[in-house]
Amino acid sequence: MQDIRNFSIIAHIDHGKSTLADRIIELCGGLSEREMAAQVLDSMELERERGITIKAQTAALRYTARDGQIYRLNLIDTPGHVDFSYEVSRSLAACEGALLVVDASQGVEAQSVANCYTAIEQGVEVVPVLNKIDLPSADPERVIQEIEDIIGVEATNAVRCSAKTGEGVEEVLEAVVARIPPPKGDPAAPLKALIIDSWFDNYVGVVMLVRVVDGVLRPKDKIRLMATGAQYLCEQVGVFTPKSQSREALSAGEVGFVIAGIKELKNARVGDTVTLASNPASAPLPGFKEIKPQVFAGLYPVESNQYDALRDALEKLRLNDASLQFEPEVSQALGFGFRCGFLGLLHMEIVQERLEREYDMDIITTAPTVVYEVKTKAGEVLRVENPSRLPEPSRIEEIREPIITTTILLPQEYVGPVMTLCNGKRGAQKNMQYMGRQVMLTYEMPLNEVVMDFFDKLKSASRGYASLDYEFLEFRPADLVKLDILVNGERVDALSLIVHRANSVHRGRELVAKMRELIPRQMFDVAIQAAIGANIIARETVKAMRKNVLAKCYGGDITRKKKLLEKQKEGKKRMKQVGNVEIPQEAFLAILKVEDK
Amino acid sequence: MIRLQQLPPLALYVHIPWCVRKCPYCDFNSHEARGEVPQQAYVAALIQDLEQALPLIWGRKVCSVFFGGGTPSLLAPEWLDHLLSRIRALLPLAYGAEITLEANPGTVEAARFAAFRDAGINRLSLGIQSFDDHHLEALGRIHDGAEARRAVERACAAFDNVNLDLMYALPGQSVAQALSDIRIAIDHGPQHISAYHLTIEPNTTFHHRPPPVPDEDAASVMQDAIEAALDAAGYRQYEISAFARTGRQCRHNLNYWQFGDYLGIGAGAHSKLSFPDRILRQARTKHPQAYLSGVGSGRHIESERPLTRQDLGFEFMMNALRLTHGFPPRLFMERTGLPISMLERAMAEAQEKGLLLRDHQRIAPTPLGRRFLNELLQIFLDD
Repeated sequence: MQDIRNFSIIAHIDHGKSTLADRIIELCGGLSEREMAAQVLDSMELERERGITIKAQTAALRYTARDGQIYRLNLIDTPGHVDFSYEVSRSLAACEGALLVVDASQGVEAQSVANCYTAIEQGVEVVPVLNKIDLPSADPERVIQEIEDIIGVEATNAVRCSAKTGEGVEEVLEAVVARIPPPKGDPAAPLKALIIDSWFDNYVGVVMLVRVVDGVLRPKDKIRLMATGAQYLCEQVGVFTPKSQSREALSAGEVGFVIAGIKELKNARVGDTVTLASNPASAPLPGFKEIKPQVFAGLYPVESNQYDALRDALEKLRLNDASLQFEPEVSQALGFGFRCGFLGLLHMEIVQERLEREYDMDIITTAPTVVYEVKTKAGEVLRVENPSRLPEPSRIEEIREPIITTTILLPQEYVGPVMTLCNGKRGAQKNMQYMGRQVMLTYEMPLNEVVMDFFDKLKSASRGYASLDYEFLEFRPADLVKLDILVNGERVDALSLIVHRANSVHRGRELVAKMRELIPRQMFDVAIQAAIGANIIARETVKAMRKNVLAKCYGGDITRKKKLLEKQKEGKKRMKQVGNVEIPQEAFLAILKVEDK
Repeated sequence: MIRLQQLPPLALYVHIPWCVRKCPYCDFNSHEARGEVPQQAYVAALIQDLEQALPLIWGRKVCSVFFGGGTPSLLAPEWLDHLLSRIRALLPLAYGAEITLEANPGTVEAARFAAFRDAGINRLSLGIQSFDDHHLEALGRIHDGAEARRAVERACAAFDNVNLDLMYALPGQSVAQALSDIRIAIDHGPQHISAYHLTIEPNTTFHHRPPPVPDEDAASVMQDAIEAALDAAGYRQYEISAFARTGRQCRHNLNYWQFGDYLGIGAGAHSKLSFPDRILRQARTKHPQAYLSGVGSGRHIESERPLTRQDLGFEFMMNALRLTHGFPPRLFMERTGLPISMLERAMAEAQEKGLLLRDHQRIAPTPLGRRFLNELLQIFLDD
């Protein structure tokens, strides 16, 4: 076990995690150059485009160190975004060390800070690495200072490298060998293996990536998953190099995959403990959490006959994404669709894009919302995931909204605008800490305000320099009201919104003004109103179009005129009908497009 | 499979694809004539084209002829005379057939009007567009207001059946200016006036560099004013953009709108021809040079396809609903060989939306349907 090093890489998006991983794999001969895709650990097309890693993957590598000894390195990949902090924490729990990769010109970002804290809390050895030192703008001294100021780890002997040129990558591996401790664990103890990640494979079913903490796991062993109690027969174990290779056993300290004929991903939850049915561990490994979606939105097919196709696509996505939830929902405006729950906004975007790209679905997404706890006068507590399902005000005793603690890291010069933004989003400042050139702001904020458009606004308020991390704090009572939108007198359920009473009139006005821009002129006037209960608080009118006719149309060549009409009709088919008003898809996201004046 | 009891009336369209200058709004098949127009070769090609097409229309009488363009008045009267005599020799023209020539109001053309009449043209359609110098310039026209007036005078002197083409919603045009153009046209007393809303078409100079045209609301006010002025002066609207004194509707265009047949010869000309069991659309090669070199070997036909049931239903409506008074229900079966009941669902929807009127006498757009004809027609498009 002394020759094993389990480690992961903590890095902000774009700071070069994947490139460094590639270099490490290459250096250890995990893949020949020809097999090397541009960045092997990010396997999904989408991840590659966004430059982020969504599902954790791993590579078991052999490294011959300068001391002549051969080490077995397990590189455990971690997702790099705020929505996946639980996955990150499970990946880190499987490691003894973590490389903190920081861009030598950009410095520390909030995401890395949060993940580093997680690592430190779990007793993981953090090894700072300055990447991109080949860039002319690199400023290693400043960044070292930042790492020490903000994260509080000793960084004077941080490894300097350029994953792009390969410079210093060997030093990184030497640091892994020298500074990260080997795993501890008892091969003779009852089996305890942590599920770091799990995914669905069309041929073998669920594949689990595990870190064996104690004991040994072999094929033909009868295993038990401790959170669910379900038992399966272990069929195969092995490692990824990153190609999969079967092994005869996985024992304490090792990282590898397990295939056990599990049909559904929800039965192999990340963070769960695998043990042997015949000789079970007395207690599971700590840290398992049931993860609940935080953000909800309605997903509807643009064309109603695509409902079944959308359901099939969502089911297929769920095969590999246990955190995606959905259930059928009917909207008067949008027809049949699904209420989907996501870990966060990025997760939602990813699902949307995968539906569009991989499944060729045309979908309308409603504005994202959070879960509210509603205490009724009758004393029940309801979870409301869709604003239009909010009970009548007379039945409500109290509405509680989710509050998050958010940490924002930004250069000093943007503190003013960012604080203004946070205050506008009903944030309460909890802390402000100067750390060298950077400032760390801590706010408590309603998640509701964050899911709307906070990321975009934060980026523009800080010219892209602010980074952010957040975690759920608690449900807190607030004076919230439901804002309804009426189009020619008809309430459009898909546009209902829960807002703070103090902002409601303002929000209502902005929203109807935006809707007026987005709804095209029709054959009649279209009235757009915002209402709270029976109270109309704002109104705009889309004036009727005067005519819609082709002036000149000789019999001669009618094909082009026909195409024009077909195009007009096609455009309309993509709109949704409310009463006799045609509403374009963008209008359902109008709330996200409202500009702050 | 369709079955036509009788073949519809047949018209002949002749395309002359050259212009002195291409107008920035024009998306027709017209080409700037650099140097001499090859009149002799083109007229010969037209005659050859017609001869080759004869088997498709064997024995059918031709009710109207229309020389369109481009600028057909660029043809010297002698060539037109020659062409028309060949047409008469090859085709049985109905007695009193309407023979229209499109002409530009330039000085050179105006001097030829009487000669065109002597060649057999009995209806002249003048592309006036406007009488206002500034608007004419904005439209890239080569004539000015004074020339336009003189041309109208000469046209009305030479012909007893004249159409004036006008456009409104021109760059920088006010309602009063649009109305003034119409008044001047009316004062000259032509038998027919066409008033088109200037539309910016793709693949035109205006599309690439949009001029500052009046907005939709202003254009609509112009349209209302123009329609009222024409009506008060005795010009009855019978189609979206066409107004005529009693009995002076353009028979050639009416034939299009009533889904009649037409043979189109010349570069880029389109045809619609019926047979007892099928209805064809045909298009000829667009570019004049390719057309000229292709006619000899039959390569001048660029496309030909039979219309499907769905095409027929929609295309009939797309034409017939442009007419103010629509069409008698039986005309649908006569022209398409299909029962009008195939459009029942769409007609019911259109009626319900207040866009369509129907009884045993006729099926017609309502006033709302005429203003929103695109909305009406889309109902008849297949999903």
